[in-house]
Amino acid sequence: MTGKTLGLVVCECCGLLSKPVDIEAPGKCPRCGEVLALRRHDAIQRTWALIIAAAICFIPANVFPVMVSKLLVGVPEDDTIISGVVLLYKTGSWHLAAIVLIASIVIPMAKIAALAYLLISVQRRSLKGQQERLRLYRLVEFVGRWSMLDVFVVTFTVALIQLQPLMSIKPGAGVLFFAAVVILTMIAAEQFDPRLIWDSNNKQGGLHD
Amino acid sequence: MTEDIDLSDVPESTTVPKKKMRFSVVWIIPLIAAIVAIGIAVQRILTEGPTITIVFKNAEGIEAGKTFVKYKDVDIGEVTKVTLSKDFQKVVVTAKIDKSAAGLLMDDAGFWIEQPRATLSGISGIGTLLSGNYIGLEPGKSKKERREFYGLDVPPAITFDQPGKRFILQTDTLGSIGHGSPIYFRQFNVGQVTGYDLAENGESIKIEVFVRTPYDKYVTDQTRFWQASGIDVTLGAEGFAVRTQSVLSMLIGGIAFETSTSAENPKPAAEKAIFALFNSRKEAMANPETIFTKYVLHFNETLRGLNVGAPVMYFGLPVGEVSAVGLEYNQKQNRARPRVEIVLYPGRFMTHVKQAFYVEKKVQSKAERQSFMQTAVDHGLRAQLRSGNLLTGQRFVALDFFPNASGVKIDWSKSPVELPVMPSGLQDIEMKINNILGKIEKMPLDDIGMDVKKLLESIDSLVKRLDGEVVPEVKTNLEELKRVLENINTTLVGQDAPTQQQLREALKEITRAAQGVQSLVEYLERNPEALIQGKKQENR
Repeated sequence: MTGKTLGLVVCECCGLLSKPVDIEAPGKCPRCGEVLALRRHDAIQRTWALIIAAAICFIPANVFPVMVSKLLVGVPEDDTIISGVVLLYKTGSWHLAAIVLIASIVIPMAKIAALAYLLISVQRRSLKGQQERLRLYRLVEFVGRWSMLDVFVVTFTVALIQLQPLMSIKPGAGVLFFAAVVILTMIAAEQFDPRLIWDSNNKQGGLHD
Repeated sequence: MTEDIDLSDVPESTTVPKKKMRFSVVWIIPLIAAIVAIGIAVQRILTEGPTITIVFKNAEGIEAGKTFVKYKDVDIGEVTKVTLSKDFQKVVVTAKIDKSAAGLLMDDAGFWIEQPRATLSGISGIGTLLSGNYIGLEPGKSKKERREFYGLDVPPAITFDQPGKRFILQTDTLGSIGHGSPIYFRQFNVGQVTGYDLAENGESIKIEVFVRTPYDKYVTDQTRFWQASGIDVTLGAEGFAVRTQSVLSMLIGGIAFETSTSAENPKPAAEKAIFALFNSRKEAMANPETIFTKYVLHFNETLRGLNVGAPVMYFGLPVGEVSAVGLEYNQKQNRARPRVEIVLYPGRFMTHVKQAFYVEKKVQSKAERQSFMQTAVDHGLRAQLRSGNLLTGQRFVALDFFPNASGVKIDWSKSPVELPVMPSGLQDIEMKINNILGKIEKMPLDDIGMDVKKLLESIDSLVKRLDGEVVPEVKTNLEELKRVLENINTTLVGQDAPTQQQLREALKEITRAAQGVQSLVEYLERNPEALIQGKKQENR
């Protein structure tokens, strides 16, 4: 049983339960004036679009260097995320390597995979593990804000290490793509409507909206 | 409008689900992401340069991802992989070259590992002490591209863009020549050795040399190259000669070249032209005689000091050389006699003739050559062994005219033709000395000695007699003589001797008379008329 089946709609802004005049076009919230919607508009399509974009950006984020360090002698050194992880691991700080690996590679990939799983299960009207899927969604939403770690590190080092003739560090193209991945997955998680998980329970419920 | 109609039985129409096939604008985001990513990927692929492999003997200081490939000190690529070859003998270095530099990867491009090097001709690669070794590239001139290369052991001495020409020199032994050995022209450094290798059959050595522009124009098709390595000391009939190029070439060897001034219309040599490398300047500059005649000489004297290669001189000028020295066995007489083979270059008899073509004709015609020789022999031309250097005892063959020599007819049917000889002057002297010695030997020296002894004995007895009998008598005589002399002294020379006094008186008289004459003369000078008029009275 959902609000939708009873012909009721919840304001996403103030949480007021109201009875819309027309179930197809719920109108405005009587309390706060927010535009009401039974389900988020185009949620599945938008989420798909964003996670696909994130997946595309994830490739150059790992291929391109995130940081270009230039020393007085020698040639500029390019560092990708993976090469940074490898370097950290080789120099003995495997725990740091693990943190970077998890924060920069495992989490974005897991987020994309988790959202894709949620979307597919909703589209297939799966009835299994609805509670678990909701928990997964909450986890994805929560963890998203922490994956900007790399971007932070790069921006900080670039700003701090500017000893021009001796040494300088510049951000590489990879860091832009990496930031795009993080932002896109965050928006995607935001766009997804967890209420869709429960829509599979009743046959009449529209898939979209 | 009055009747109530039951509409409950009226069936409801089925609702048509709203078709919502429209796509959300949000799909633009993945589209943009895809376009950007693909765009960058395409750009990457387009700018992707070729990957090459270079085989080195060892990968000293080469690290994947850290070593660069440089041309003119500009990075043009990076080593991506260093592996051992399949047979573990060599190192295969894989490098990614920038697309912009792909045009340098030609068939004859050279790669080497640049590292600090100290050689006698200089120190190079100091910069690599700080930056680490790198792979140097020297592009080639070939138009053919290549991706697999064999690394050089040493950097090429000549850079690709340096104008000049390369030549190949062939020699039997390398001597002290090495990479970078200088090339001299009139003792002026004009290039260097860029490489050397054994010829394919292993029978000679090929040396590649580079001569810089503008000096490469001095290398003509008639240029001779020789090894100027170290010190060239020659000891021959011409004496003791020391020839060096420079201290540097004494240490690391060198090659010199020169074009003979007698070379006719020399044309500049082509790139990669092949030359022979001679061992010495003398050898190199010896005229390449195409026409030569062999003669045999039968000297009846020692051939000591006569070596193969000794010159044959005609009026002191070399016209040929000794080609063989040996003994000839004569079966009939069952004895061996010295035999000297010489080679004469007829062209050298005619270096200065007004009409050059005439020389050609004369030299090339066998009959002309024979008549020339016969005429010379008729005029007394003979071969003679002479000592070139008394100190070293080196000898040479001289062709000289002996007007007293009887005419000899040269037998041209023999091969080689025999030339008449004349015993050497030195041998004459030897013979004369021998004759003298023989005569001396024949003298009865013992008898002469005996006679001399007797003579000496009689002289001795004579002296003894003189001493005993003659000397005392002489003594008494001498004493008598002394007495006589003393007597003379007292009577004639002594202060009071009467003769002395009379003499003094007489002298006084003469003095007085002389004074009288003087006063007369003085008077006459003043009064010459007195001669006629007589002495006048004083009181006038």
